[in-house]
Amino acid sequence: MKDFTLNLNNDYRYLKTGYYVSMHAEVLGNRVIPSSESIIAASRTPILLLKASKAGIPTVPYLVTGSVRRIISEFGFPLVVFAVNPFCYDGYKIAHNRSALYRAVRSLSMSYKFAVCAQPLKGEMLSFKSVFGRCGLEGEVARVSRRVYEVFRLPICKLHVQKVGGEAFLCGLQPLRIGEVLPEDLEIVGEEVSRMSRMGEHLVG
Amino acid sequence: MWEKRFLACREWVNTWLARIACFVEKYNFSDQREATALQNFQRTAQSMGHGFDFLFREGIPEIPRYDAVFIRATTDPLFTSYVVSKTAWELGKRVIDDPESIQICGNKIHLYDLFEKHDVPHIPTMFLNKEDLHHKRLLEVFETLGKPIVVKAPYTSFSKYVEKVACETSFRDVAKRYFRKSDMLAVQTFMPTAFDWRVGVLNRKTLYVCKYMIPKGRWKHGAKRRGKPTFVWGRTVALKTENAPSKLKEVALKACDVIGHGLYGVDIKEVNGDYVVVEVNDNPSIYAGYEDSRNTDLYGKIIEYLVD
Repeated sequence: MKDFTLNLNNDYRYLKTGYYVSMHAEVLGNRVIPSSESIIAASRTPILLLKASKAGIPTVPYLVTGSVRRIISEFGFPLVVFAVNPFCYDGYKIAHNRSALYRAVRSLSMSYKFAVCAQPLKGEMLSFKSVFGRCGLEGEVARVSRRVYEVFRLPICKLHVQKVGGEAFLCGLQPLRIGEVLPEDLEIVGEEVSRMSRMGEHLVG
Repeated sequence: MWEKRFLACREWVNTWLARIACFVEKYNFSDQREATALQNFQRTAQSMGHGFDFLFREGIPEIPRYDAVFIRATTDPLFTSYVVSKTAWELGKRVIDDPESIQICGNKIHLYDLFEKHDVPHIPTMFLNKEDLHHKRLLEVFETLGKPIVVKAPYTSFSKYVEKVACETSFRDVAKRYFRKSDMLAVQTFMPTAFDWRVGVLNRKTLYVCKYMIPKGRWKHGAKRRGKPTFVWGRTVALKTENAPSKLKEVALKACDVIGHGLYGVDIKEVNGDYVVVEVNDNPSIYAGYEDSRNTDLYGKIIEYLVD
């Protein structure tokens, strides 16, 4: 039994191997990055946003519902809609009018089986990889990426952020497909693992 | 009539001691016995001086207005009910079922892993992943657990996604279906019994005890009718908690201890005088005339816990 587990995976979705590794490590009493609770929280957009805003990460207002009428009356257009069902790989859809919103809600809610998470679109959407909180970008976007890692401790993921003027607002988080992980990302992983070892963590691969 | 006007008045001036939101979905009202149980909860809460509103999916943004949240819709980390539970928890509300209980009970791999660690007597279980689906490993499984075996998807509930198999071919068929959604599954020894005990536990105390009878010719409490999408359910026989075997209650409480302090329904098999846990369910069924028939105070106890 090890006392610290660093669970590295491109896909931390619930019920997938990445999730079971963290879950099992916790049952054994190990400290683990990421925790199984964080994995579930980060993959459910409303919980991600709630926990992020509690930790001081800028977020936009959101509404969890299955009702198109309610979304329109609350936010108007344009909108960005995220799936609440965590099996969805394709993170979000943008709707500029009512029919596009109906299509988005129908598709992301798996024909109204799940709710969706709607947010007003005030600026431009930006999606990027975050490896141990590093994203290769600068300014507020980099700060959001770093803070998300500090709060949720997901070593590898994709973040969706809304850029409004000079500000950046967290909108959603997604797993990466294996092909999206590049050699330069693995270099960052190597650096972080060495840093953790230097700090006294006993890592066993 | 005066009661209705009195209640409307309390709503208007908000003199409730506490406000409870009961998260439900439309299907919770499709069975008359479940709908009656929900009304019993509402009536009991109001008679104790607490507000009790049914909260549907559209009402999720209203959660901050309430003091406690009681979830009656089916729970699973993948369902909207988990978002409700976690939201209420993060906002500091008392919530049944709490997110940790949903996370553990909603995944049987997690549950049996904890049973294994804490020596909770349970049905012999093995975990398999996709790489284990080969002849040699399956032979080992049948040798260890005997034939037939029970294959369980981690997300099983209401007797769904649990199947009995007796040969490698049918095992592969079932496993392939379950592996589409989960990278792991559980296999268990088949233990036929005439009924399963169901022990309701709240805050580490026994709340009710029932026998869930197995329908004739079937092997689980809820079984699918051949060629039809409907289920046939066995009878529910309730007992007074004080009349239930003390060893049974001990085992149920031990199983819940490794999960948390919430509301649970523990399924237990009695085999040669020993009690083995089948599983612990968060969000246990409470139907009027079934679970409550010998323990009518269960509504009050749950409301009391929510507002404590």
